[in-house]
Amino acid sequence: MRARYLILLLVFVAWMFFHVRHAASRVQQQAPSAKSSSSLSPRDLSGVWFISEYHQNILPNEDPPFQPWAAALYKKRDYEKSHADPDKGPDPTPRCIPPGIPREMIQPFPWEIVMARDRIVMIFEYQSLVRQIFIDGRGHPADLDPTYMGNSVGKWEGDTLVVDTVGFNGKIWLDPKGLPSTDALHVTERIRRVNYDTLSNDITIDDRKAYTKPWTVQKLFTLKPGWQIKEYVCAENNLSH
Amino acid sequence: MKNCFTVAMVMSLALASTLLLSALPASAHHSSAAFDLQHPVTVKGKVTKFDWSNPHAFIYLDVLNKNGKTDEWRVEANSPNMLSRVGWKRETIKEGDEISVTGAPAKNGTSVMRLDNVVLPSGQKMDGQGFSYGH
Repeated sequence: MRARYLILLLVFVAWMFFHVRHAASRVQQQAPSAKSSSSLSPRDLSGVWFISEYHQNILPNEDPPFQPWAAALYKKRDYEKSHADPDKGPDPTPRCIPPGIPREMIQPFPWEIVMARDRIVMIFEYQSLVRQIFIDGRGHPADLDPTYMGNSVGKWEGDTLVVDTVGFNGKIWLDPKGLPSTDALHVTERIRRVNYDTLSNDITIDDRKAYTKPWTVQKLFTLKPGWQIKEYVCAENNLSH
Repeated sequence: MKNCFTVAMVMSLALASTLLLSALPASAHHSSAAFDLQHPVTVKGKVTKFDWSNPHAFIYLDVLNKNGKTDEWRVEANSPNMLSRVGWKRETIKEGDEISVTGAPAKNGTSVMRLDNVVLPSGQKMDGQGFSYGH
């Protein structure tokens, strides 16, 4: 009798554990949830979104296909981070340098999508940055000045927004852990509202100077109804990294 | 019989908490590598200053050490933006408050800590890293 209770409880605990761990992992095509508004177009991505499961490494379980110098730099950054004074470190963002794309998307701060006729605007809380994705058919400008956030254009493939971003300056870390990038960085994102409160983004990194081949990772974001994007002034209290 | 059932339930809950906690990534939005997350410490003291500004809120605390001298601790919490989403307000901590803070100390031995939680003079416990764990 006693043993039966114990077994039942242990089974329940194990079930809870796996349920919680895997609930937010890979999402395949899903029917809209019951909360979904029937009038909501699947192309309506608007809302305040927040990373569903935050990890400092954008690839939580593996290393990307590094070029040798990039692997060495990644290792060096990791070493410097654990040995530096908490006030100083190699990460550029505590010095208020923009995190760039894709890192800005996966920081543990919310961001909002606002839909306009010719563009989709992302308002990021982290460092109060704005990203514009032009969806009116224009291409990237011919002579781009390199930037932290790059230049983004998008198009619809069904209900998936495909965003192409180039024009990077090579100074950004791809994730908080310190994956290197170069000016050859080309980011492709496939963004889709898989259900009412989940946004999925398949991010492909193509930077042949730093990686031997393109690699892709899926990130999920959760709708945060009632949240508003707040002011974030990095320079005000820039003590830590 | 009832006691055995209670013991089994408590053990299961303890196991569940352990499993759930171990599943969470121990990392804030910036690098936590400079802090010793494996060996948290708790110190009590009097607040000398509370900085409620991004990217991190900081509590400065005068703490009497075992030699009878005062150490000034700098305690780093998450950003005010995220803390306010788990119930903090800018006046949650005030100068002169006697508080207890628990967190990961700096690996380099300085009196700097990454806050896990703080116990306020009222006895209320506040999470110092709200939403950093991907909630």
